[in-house]
Amino acid sequence: MSAFTTGRPRRRIPVRTPAGGARHNGRQSRKMGGPLAAFPWLLPALALVGVLLVYPFFRSVYGSLFEDNGFSRSFVGLDNYSRLAEDPIFSRSLLNTLMWVAGTLLLPVLLGLLIAVATYRMRFGGVAQLLVVLPYAISGAATAVLWNFMLTTDGAVNQMLRAFGLDGLTHSWLLEWPHNTLAMIVASTWQGTGLNVVLFVIGLRAIPRETVEAASLDGASGWRMFLYVTLPQLRAVTVVVVGMAIVNSLKAFDMIWILTKGGPSRSSETLALTMYRETFRLFHVGYGSAIAVVLTVIVVASAWLYLRRQMPDSARN
Amino acid sequence: MSQPAGKVALHGDNQDWRDPLSSAGQRMRSLAGIELVPEVIPSLESFEQMVKSSLRTNKTPDMLKYWSGYRLQDLARTGGIEDLTSQWEAAEEAGWVDASLRPAFTHQRRVYGLPMNLAYWVFFYNTEVFAELGLEPPTSWDAFIDVCGALKSAGITPLHATTDGRWPAFIWFMEVLSRQDPVFYEELMNGQASYTDARAERALLTIAEFSDNDWFTALDMNHVNAAAGVMRGTVGMMPGGTFFTPNFVSAGGEPGRNLDAFVLPMADPGAPPCMIFESSALVCTVKGPDKREALEAAGSWLHPEVAEAFSHTLQDGSPNPGVVPANPMVAGIVDTVRQSELTLLNRFWELGPPELVEATVDDLAGFLLNPSSYRSTLATMQERADDAWQVWREAARS
Repeated sequence: MSAFTTGRPRRRIPVRTPAGGARHNGRQSRKMGGPLAAFPWLLPALALVGVLLVYPFFRSVYGSLFEDNGFSRSFVGLDNYSRLAEDPIFSRSLLNTLMWVAGTLLLPVLLGLLIAVATYRMRFGGVAQLLVVLPYAISGAATAVLWNFMLTTDGAVNQMLRAFGLDGLTHSWLLEWPHNTLAMIVASTWQGTGLNVVLFVIGLRAIPRETVEAASLDGASGWRMFLYVTLPQLRAVTVVVVGMAIVNSLKAFDMIWILTKGGPSRSSETLALTMYRETFRLFHVGYGSAIAVVLTVIVVASAWLYLRRQMPDSARN
Repeated sequence: MSQPAGKVALHGDNQDWRDPLSSAGQRMRSLAGIELVPEVIPSLESFEQMVKSSLRTNKTPDMLKYWSGYRLQDLARTGGIEDLTSQWEAAEEAGWVDASLRPAFTHQRRVYGLPMNLAYWVFFYNTEVFAELGLEPPTSWDAFIDVCGALKSAGITPLHATTDGRWPAFIWFMEVLSRQDPVFYEELMNGQASYTDARAERALLTIAEFSDNDWFTALDMNHVNAAAGVMRGTVGMMPGGTFFTPNFVSAGGEPGRNLDAFVLPMADPGAPPCMIFESSALVCTVKGPDKREALEAAGSWLHPEVAEAFSHTLQDGSPNPGVVPANPMVAGIVDTVRQSELTLLNRFWELGPPELVEATVDDLAGFLLNPSSYRSTLATMQERADDAWQVWREAARS
């Protein structure tokens, strides 16, 4: 396949579509390959997803219709949702969550891509990649402890800035909004970029050599090669990386919990933290369930919208 | 959950209490034939969650280390914890417990918890630094202000203040307000006075003045680093409970040698002298599988030998007035309490509906970060208080 053919490339190898096996006669199709043939194979996965994901979700939806303090409960309909809409913390929390989404899409994904492209053919590139990947091996909680040492007012970042005479750039990184949220996004970038590098390197290695050679012969190099050859070939990997980034940023929790507990004065809370606080600190179980439902809807909707637009259709590689 | 005969599990949220509970348990075994088995869930949130979700089931722990005050009342309301009035009265009759602590463990005139430790809220300081600067621990409010000024002049940040970890944001409000007007502190914390009162405003203005004087550390300095700062001579004084002592010890502090603590003097010399205390509650659950043994264990908890084993291993104060103080620093505080006849006031965290406290600590953190917002902070706190007290009183009636 040439990178410069127009229109949709056709596969030479016959593709087996589901239930599209040989249909010589009706009897055979009933024996195997009917629309329900895949069902027994799907059953374990369906059961797992049902028990671990679908049931808890609907249980949360049901729970969100109650005023529940963990001991007694009364049906209140959609009251929890209307209270949520009026809660000033909810809007701040939503804004922080969106900041996390934007920041996580911008930084770890972009950095991961750049580092992967810059290092995958470089001498000692593997070492550079290893260094970037290493923080991914550390738990989120440990990363937060490390960054706490860096970000406090008397911490390493401000000390370094002062050492270089950049006193004007010092900040109480964890005490002021939006610095606290931005600083934590940077901390999570430090940890999360490594995984994206690995995924992009896998994608880069999967690009057929012939494609790159053909493009070189046609005079593509440097930026043009990246833009018109490498990037389109990485599309499938990018879908996975971006999809994961969206979901991870929406449920950001451990880093924030350890660094600021959502504070000071609730300024760095995200929806996940607000949900945790309401449910497990204040025992507003119904209200917490309502936040959980809103968060789930946002996560599922954004992932679904994105994947629907981006997934390569099944007839393509 | 159930333990073999002669053993009963006690669940708590503090890893540092494991050894003290074990040594108290061993002493209890020789006295009453029951041994305590400490079980720790080292996260306040997970612990509270476990307690509240299991209390109505027979999978609930037998004994708990819980909070006193309104948090204990909140738990007592569920009907899930045992009435320990008879155990309290027996201990009081034997002189094994400080009777003034009783209200902190009482719900509707019945006792639902026994005091485990008695942490005093004090100001820690480095005796060597004070000696070097020719400073004495202050015995009056004016002397305290002078010490802050002298430390500042010597290039030492006089006071630790923090919002790190959320809850510590109340410390300064509690300390200053209780010294300016202990009666009002009690009224306010029990919902009988308003946050918009001029006396609450005065307390915040005092704190704002300290902040304007640049007397406070960075507000994201946690207690571990502050304790190390006191021992290194970069931080002058750290307000905190005596349970913070291990932080100083691990930073090279030694009570009686280079570490000591004083009780913050009264700002109003005419007011009844007071200090803040904190005491965890030993609670027995109704549905615990070893309930009979748990109640027996509670009966001997305040026995002088058990109380001493516990407080000496913990290196903190004891609710049993007969127990010899664990170290010279605690001895000094106990002497101050007795000589000055200090009234012990319960901590901010344990006073008022837990939901209200959980929210007001965030308001106070906002104030510490922006002291000029004192008026709006108090107005917000009062709005929350109105709602929270209404819910609390309605629940009490139902």
